[in-house]
Amino acid sequence: MAKIKLDIFRFDEATDAIPHRDEVTVDLPETTTVLDALEYAKAEIDGSISFRRSCRSAICGSCSMSIGGVTSLACKTSCGSAMEEDGSVKIDPMPNFQPMKDLVVHMDPFWDKYARLKPYLQPNDADSAHATERRVSPDDMTKLVDVANCIMCATCYSLCPVVSVDPAFAGPAAIAYAYRFIEDVRDGQRKERIAQISEDYLWLCAHCYACSYCPKHVDPNDRIIDVKRAAITDRVMMNERGPRHALVVAKTIKQTGMLAETEVIQGTVGRFNIRGLLKVAPLGARMALKGKLPPPFLKPVPKVDEIRTIFDALEAPVR
Amino acid sequence: MSSTLLPEERALDAHVRTNSSKSKRYGFFPGCVAKESCKELFNSTMLLADKLGIELIELTAASCCGASVLNDTNRDVARVLNARTYAQAEALGLDDVITICSTCTGHMRAANKELRESEEHMAQANAILGKFGANYKGSVTVRHLLWLLIDDIGLDKLQAMVVRPLNGLKVAPFYGCHIIRPESVNGWESARHPHSLEDVIVALGGEAVDYAGKTRCCGFHVQLEKEGIAASMVGQNMRMAKDNGAEAVITPCPLCHLALDGYQADAAARWGRTDLPVFHLPQLVAYALGVPAEKLGLKKHLIDPREVMVSRDLIN
Repeated sequence: MAKIKLDIFRFDEATDAIPHRDEVTVDLPETTTVLDALEYAKAEIDGSISFRRSCRSAICGSCSMSIGGVTSLACKTSCGSAMEEDGSVKIDPMPNFQPMKDLVVHMDPFWDKYARLKPYLQPNDADSAHATERRVSPDDMTKLVDVANCIMCATCYSLCPVVSVDPAFAGPAAIAYAYRFIEDVRDGQRKERIAQISEDYLWLCAHCYACSYCPKHVDPNDRIIDVKRAAITDRVMMNERGPRHALVVAKTIKQTGMLAETEVIQGTVGRFNIRGLLKVAPLGARMALKGKLPPPFLKPVPKVDEIRTIFDALEAPVR
Repeated sequence: MSSTLLPEERALDAHVRTNSSKSKRYGFFPGCVAKESCKELFNSTMLLADKLGIELIELTAASCCGASVLNDTNRDVARVLNARTYAQAEALGLDDVITICSTCTGHMRAANKELRESEEHMAQANAILGKFGANYKGSVTVRHLLWLLIDDIGLDKLQAMVVRPLNGLKVAPFYGCHIIRPESVNGWESARHPHSLEDVIVALGGEAVDYAGKTRCCGFHVQLEKEGIAASMVGQNMRMAKDNGAEAVITPCPLCHLALDGYQADAAARWGRTDLPVFHLPQLVAYALGVPAEKLGLKKHLIDPREVMVSRDLIN
């Protein structure tokens, strides 16, 4: 047994102007899950501590909270693994959400982004046109299984740095769930779905892999890349900066072997987009003053033909 | 040896065979940004290597690692490009490829992991490399210079090599995503609670500043996608660092450096002025190990680090 100090964020939006913290000490083994420790504290010490929970076994997705500064499922995280040197475990509501009461947050923005996906199958033809159920091959189904494991716990959404500065971004879970329907062979709305998720800023993903902390190994980070690739393959909203950026990067690597910074900036913003270029110009001017501008043209690396051979062999798209 | 070697590589190859290697030799992959807008990073890395007594053999014919963007266009091309780079290292007898960029580290390691764990991927890559007489056997390990400092040099030895300690300079570490995440690819230290940069800061005589932003994203990869997005991410993180007492930032990633150094001015409207100078990892290590400050390219930074260095009596 060990004295575990639960350092808990306390707040009630109905009565409190600002949050405070309570320290609740429980005498439990360090292997106790944070959820069990909270349940014990609520039952034995302070019945007013509020948190969401249901299944206690990482299936329901209710008990996501910030534990030791990183969002995790309380039922899947031991107190010992998140303990500070002074024996305390810091517990906060999920960041990127508005707190409601203690560790309970308003989940609405997260669900709204799901709802926008129309997260149900939309086949091209009526069920009555089929004598049997619609069949999916094992290979086609395998692609969807990982994403179907999503328990909508919002861990990824809460850790997403883009959501934290721009709430218009769909967030990792919604993009991964868009993939689940985009790649479903029974669905008839592939292009419309890609367009919708592109409008919800698919290409604003910052490639930070914070969503690789997914407790169910859905790993939205990889599915986001899959959806971007689907957008390029199906040529959906190709004039947006995201696809332009990806394709001009590919083009400069094929031409020179290197990512040519100057050409990538022009190609992404648009060579004739004077307003857009003027907006990046102040930083460019500051860099120029310091002698830090990338060179306007790059000499190809030695044996660049080999690099072009690789692109051609794989039929990799370039702009 | 493979017929794909350039003349200068053949010379290096001969050198590998005849030199009984009194110093450790590494394949060196500087990445695009260290050769373009952050040349000061490349130069200070080479100066640091001299001080450490290690030899960095630049893979001059290597391609871009894919920069996390190439995967958006094609599933295989970045992996095969990196296989070509590893084949060049192998042909030179080099098992270690050292990077100085978090993004290069993560994406090259991811490609290498796929190649080594999947016969299918390795066969696909070698079928293409075979068109120009190259082959990758899978012997290469990709590591960041930060890991080399700790694993191969060692913190104790590094500390003993310090001739100009940082006089308690309060430095905030900024890791950059791809050197820690995903853990399945990097895994050299905890992605949630890393401390290698802090350890190096302390070994150099500085004080490490803890803040929640140290493992967060700088926004570099989406700086062009939407107005102000990267500046906001930079401002948010630098605000946390500044509020926790930081006087400067250190990063192992030139992409983070460009974003943090470039966008603090634009972030001031929303996050307040922070003006934290951002050192490349090898700049600050090289300085502490005795490389003259004027050789480190510090005047190329948009936020001049020399003021804070003067205030700590590090330079005049």
